[in-house]
Amino acid sequence: MVDIKEGEETEMNMTPMIDIVFQLIIFFLITLKFKTIDERIDANMPKDRGPNITPPSFEDKPKVKLKVFRKNKADEATAYTLVKIDNSHRVRLPSGPWKGTQEDNQARLKAYGEAMAQIRAILIAKRQAVLNDPELYAEIVSPKPDGGAVPEGDVISLLDTLVAVGMTDIRFEGAAMPGGVLGR
Amino acid sequence: MDTNESRQTIRARPASPPDDDATRTRRDLPLVGDDTSVNMTPMIDMTFLLVVFFMLSIDLTQKEYLPVDLPFAYEGVEDLPQPDETIPRFVVNLESDGTVMFKGRRYSLSADRPEAQEAALGALRSQLRSISADPQYREPTGASRIPVLIHGDRAAKWKYAQYVMQVCAHPDIRIYQVQFAVTKPASDDASEER
Repeated sequence: MVDIKEGEETEMNMTPMIDIVFQLIIFFLITLKFKTIDERIDANMPKDRGPNITPPSFEDKPKVKLKVFRKNKADEATAYTLVKIDNSHRVRLPSGPWKGTQEDNQARLKAYGEAMAQIRAILIAKRQAVLNDPELYAEIVSPKPDGGAVPEGDVISLLDTLVAVGMTDIRFEGAAMPGGVLGR
Repeated sequence: MDTNESRQTIRARPASPPDDDATRTRRDLPLVGDDTSVNMTPMIDMTFLLVVFFMLSIDLTQKEYLPVDLPFAYEGVEDLPQPDETIPRFVVNLESDGTVMFKGRRYSLSADRPEAQEAALGALRSQLRSISADPQYREPTGASRIPVLIHGDRAAKWKYAQYVMQVCAHPDIRIYQVQFAVTKPASDDASEER
């Protein structure tokens, strides 16, 4: 390198530069993450009240009450969610936790599909019983002490089923958070 | 190379045909032993373009969406950006153990003692209150225009999602548009006729 005489042409070896560039590409390939969020369900809360207080104007509207309980919650493998619809129907959702492999979830989804089909039939019957009143709304209640332990996946499945039958007016009711609804 | 040169002097190449595409034959292609060098410039150009592409598509912002197992739903709507792009959307991540992550801060709503839970909820409430206070994000009625997306794990207890909704409905915050992030199950034999 030192003995470059004036007037001589010098050649640059390109190989190291290409090596570094390939390293850079591999680095960016590995750190590239495409941020996606698949889909969402809108569940807007009513504007005139907090989530827990029913105003008088609602008391005479027809509603379907879905109470959810988590039974056997001490044992994760046998815990299941019980859905009581208007105290007239009970549907038992598949037991066990939501975590699992892809195959576990396939089987779970099938079982959930059957349970949700039952719930769907009950909801359609309820709606026909009030002659398809458009003011019919659904209320998902998670009472203490077992209601809050229901996994979000189960409640979202219920939401999903309600949207599927066209009941998009959904209220949520449950125990107040620690510190009360207004907090400290 | 010596052998190269000597080979070239020995071998007699056929007379080259006229130099246009229609009459070019295989005898024009380089023969073994010829001194050829590949022009590296186009390859380096393409490599630089690749690097620039990856540099532009890397997301260096703070992670807004934690990797959670989203709940399954068939009736989810595509998560398109809001019609009014000036209004932000708050993404509240809810992990399976009840920890809430919002704007890079974590709040453990599932702490052992109720006082710790209250403190976590209070902290979440004050953070939401301060960043939703801007009057340009409020309707004339005072309700907030900012929606909240609950990006929760399917195994997270429902009461934590309810706590988040209760915090949003606080009179100082008044966020009433709540969305739940869901994922469509992969459609194979597991999904039946709907």
